[in-house]
Amino acid sequence: MVLVLALGDLHIPHRAADLPAKFKSMLVPGKIQHILSPGNLCIKEVHDYLKSLCGDVHITRGEYDDDSRYPETKQLTIGAFKLGICHGHQVIPWGDLESLAMLQRQLDVDILITGHTHQFKAYKHEGGVIINPGSATGAYSSITYDINPSFVLMDIDGLRVVVYVYELIDGEVKVDKIDFKKAQGSS
Amino acid sequence: MPPKPVPAWLNSSAWASKPRSPVRSSYSFKEISTIQRETTSAPPVGEIGGQEEKDPSSSSSSGGGSVRGAVTHQQTATLTTQARGNGLGTSSQQLSRRRIHLAELQRLSSQGIPDSGSIRPISWKILLGYLPKNQDDWATELAKKRAEYMIFRDEMIINPSEVTRRKEEMEALKAADMEAKEGLLLRQEITHDDHPLSLGTTSVWHQFFQDTELAEQINRDVKRTHPDMDFFCGDTAYACENQEALKRILFIFAKLNPGIRYVQGMNEVLAPLYYVFKTDRDDTDGAHAEEDSFFCFVELLSDFRDHFCQQLDNSAVGIRSTIAQLTALLRRHDEELWRHLEYTSKVNPQFYAFRWITLLLTQEFSFFDSIRLWDSLLSNPDGPLEILLRVCCAMLLCQRSRLLAGDFTTNLKLLQHYPAIDIQHLLWVADDLRG
Repeated sequence: MVLVLALGDLHIPHRAADLPAKFKSMLVPGKIQHILSPGNLCIKEVHDYLKSLCGDVHITRGEYDDDSRYPETKQLTIGAFKLGICHGHQVIPWGDLESLAMLQRQLDVDILITGHTHQFKAYKHEGGVIINPGSATGAYSSITYDINPSFVLMDIDGLRVVVYVYELIDGEVKVDKIDFKKAQGSS
Repeated sequence: MPPKPVPAWLNSSAWASKPRSPVRSSYSFKEISTIQRETTSAPPVGEIGGQEEKDPSSSSSSGGGSVRGAVTHQQTATLTTQARGNGLGTSSQQLSRRRIHLAELQRLSSQGIPDSGSIRPISWKILLGYLPKNQDDWATELAKKRAEYMIFRDEMIINPSEVTRRKEEMEALKAADMEAKEGLLLRQEITHDDHPLSLGTTSVWHQFFQDTELAEQINRDVKRTHPDMDFFCGDTAYACENQEALKRILFIFAKLNPGIRYVQGMNEVLAPLYYVFKTDRDDTDGAHAEEDSFFCFVELLSDFRDHFCQQLDNSAVGIRSTIAQLTALLRRHDEELWRHLEYTSKVNPQFYAFRWITLLLTQEFSFFDSIRLWDSLLSNPDGPLEILLRVCCAMLLCQRSRLLAGDFTTNLKLLQHYPAIDIQHLLWVADDLRG
């Protein structure tokens, strides 16, 4: 039962001051085992905050990140699943599911965490699942101003993943979930 | 033993600076005990033999009394055949008896339960009140209690992912939905705040995270229980299994008793119980060691739970008052030693007696010595606390000469690292302090 937090596109301090208070009150240390962030944090203080929530933080580089040492893409294995992270501004057209699927096949991962569009999306294709946690601060994107803050928490349990989607709509936190199973025996 | 004007322990050779060799002591004690047994009626001997698997070796060694077997086998045989000679005649009558005479069992157990067969696990279970006195009821009682434990286990030890999965299966989600679909995945509503970050008290997840802290504390202590024993510590699957069982027992106990929860030291009290039940020769009982030791642990702790509660420290039932009872007992029997400890060397009894009393002397002697000690502790008709205090007093008395000669540092060191001593002799001294 591994809890993995995926959140990105915070754009602190340029486009947003901080995470919404309701999100912050929920994110307490000690519950989460891994944090994956597609990028665009953008400053070191945010990195330190994420580190305080959980020791194991994986970040990839977004186009506005201050720290240039983050890698473009990252792959890791948690339990039975292979996860990949990439910010997504490199994949053109932005947010195009077919192109992201291509990236996923290149990285050879079951779950691809990506960002940049600031819209939550969860898409399944025969190669795997693409999850876009959206923007955790609700920062405006290159495409639109109308963004609801959102992030994703995955509960990886054996061959099954439950994805909890946390979205802030009209000042209230709404939680939904998505279930999917990995086919037995597939690599 | 007939009352004597001068306490016998005062004349014993334990006052020499070195403890006596074990062989001498157990031999002399066995002589006394077998003479006694011959004069009293033998049915109790037969009774023990009758209730267990009629193991001839076990009945002969129970006739001998001492577990050590420091005396040669032949001597044991000759001593005990005399006892058995009286017993065999009535023991055949006793074998058909199904009702256990608790007082007799207590009397015999206090002299040491033999290691062979399943005598010790079953005796401990009877003495702690887990098994009823009527043998016919054993099967039903055991089945009932074991089932109860399994219910506790399922309720208390929760894996939130499992719970959410089970809930969904109950809501009859089509499995096909999860498998083949391509395209945008649909989001489903969740009920009752059932997400991992929920702060609501109804959430399974919230409970789980609160329990993790407790579980971690228990885990730390269980890992440190008896590191020298392969049974408890090590990389083997057996040791891991035992550790997991101990953790589960302590966790369930803590959840069922929110008043005292888990206190460091409970693992030490549980360890001998679990060991004795798990190493039961009877495999069916050994497999249920976890359930049995849970209930026996609860029974045993019911006498001593106030010692673990910090708020009761200064009250009339707390640990301080028990320690005060111990010092009063010491004063009654040996004023000079008491005065020396209290005033001259100023050794606060809390420094040594706290661990002796709360952990029921498991940390002061070797593991198997403490099991022998527990035979007497559990079989005391006046309750284990009474004999515990007498044994602690006896421990002080047996080191009398060294304590009187020492100052604060040496005395404290001596009492906190109590030297090896013959348990039989210690119990004999403790027995003498009765009344």
